[in-house]
Amino acid sequence: MKTAWVGLTLALALVLQTTVVPGLAGAGVPVDLVLVAVVLVAISSGSVGGLWVGTVGGLLQDALSGGVIGVGGLAKTLVGYAVGAFAVQFNVSRSWHQALVVLFASLVHAGCFVGLYSLLSDDGTITSYGGGVTQAVANAVVGGGVAMALGAAPAALTRRRLRRRRLTRRFGG
Amino acid sequence: MLLLAVVLGHIVLISLQVNTPSGVRVFEGVTFGLFSEVQRGVARATGGVTHLWDGYVGLVSVEAENTELRRDVAQLQLRLQQERAIAQRVRSLEDLLEFRSDVVYSTVSARVIAGDATPYFRTVTIDRGTRDGVRRDSAVVSPEGVVGRVLSDPGPRAAKVQLLVDRSAAAGVLIERTRVAGTVKGDVAEGLLRMEYVSNLDDVRVGDRVVTSGVDGIYPKGFEVGEVDEVERGSGLYWAIRVRPNVAFSDLEDVLVVVPDATASTTAAGGE
Repeated sequence: MKTAWVGLTLALALVLQTTVVPGLAGAGVPVDLVLVAVVLVAISSGSVGGLWVGTVGGLLQDALSGGVIGVGGLAKTLVGYAVGAFAVQFNVSRSWHQALVVLFASLVHAGCFVGLYSLLSDDGTITSYGGGVTQAVANAVVGGGVAMALGAAPAALTRRRLRRRRLTRRFGG
Repeated sequence: MLLLAVVLGHIVLISLQVNTPSGVRVFEGVTFGLFSEVQRGVARATGGVTHLWDGYVGLVSVEAENTELRRDVAQLQLRLQQERAIAQRVRSLEDLLEFRSDVVYSTVSARVIAGDATPYFRTVTIDRGTRDGVRRDSAVVSPEGVVGRVLSDPGPRAAKVQLLVDRSAAAGVLIERTRVAGTVKGDVAEGLLRMEYVSNLDDVRVGDRVVTSGVDGIYPKGFEVGEVDEVERGSGLYWAIRVRPNVAFSDLEDVLVVVPDATASTTAAGGE
């Protein structure tokens, strides 16, 4: 069941990344939703879960993009594993903690990705350092927002259920 | 141990691609084929919502816009007549020189259904594939100018297009005014193009129009690329030239793909 949810999350992140984010990227917001999904799943499921979700998400992203297959996969595998291992050791339950993890994970991911491409090609770097930092901040904002929404969702559902039960008790149903 | 195995797997995967000549990657083909259908559905759904908004809700202040547009159309019609007269004169001069522009291209229109899956590359997915005659390296253009080329082997109903602003994209070009040849390359960071291999003895000015030269065998000759935005003396024998592309790559919706067969509608480079 959990695997299905993770798969669904990755698929949703990929669809949004390819259909919604290009419009945002045109406005100067270069978010990597797949990376955000990998980090948030790795925080909740540990190093092995992070490793697998990073591998699958990165390879799918590579297959859909114009680059070498495996570069994004390797970068996201390492990030997923590292974030999972970190989340087991430290308490990262609050949404702003998770936003910080997304920020640092994005910087590490950009380093791996750009570094690997620099090794494979002699045509200069794939992006500027400023671009990497902007992307990390954008990812952190989106990651923090998603973490906050996911954290608030169960409480909101409980409140709604209680309100409905109270109304049923008062007016019958 | 597991991490090591997965990392090794990735390294093997990458090295296999780097060392062999480029061909169809099974993994890429299957993923692209399946995912392009999902993208097509999502693009249709979002397009429907946008259409509903544009067609009904967003019709405020249309009358004023209409009046302004009618005025623009009148001016453009006048300019079209002038251009037609010039084109007619050029044709008669060409006839005199026995030089005929006989290159006519077939095109199919396509809709952009998705962007790139990573923020590092500039590719888009279009809703036309091998069924419509789209092939690897087919040129993709728009009324504003050159958009890019079809990357790798397309699927039956979708194709991946590398935009001209992608870091690894390039095209053979000419400065229209002086016919000086060079190459434009993409630059992801700034959204501009770098024009290279233009000798610093050649005459290049800011505002010069840049068109395709046709020497790369991908882009037909004469299509507009952009205009020179910046000219600086480079470190070696060449100018360091920045070209601002005509096409707004972040707002692409509909494009034309140049295809080999003559069944589709036709358009001529630089024609009327």
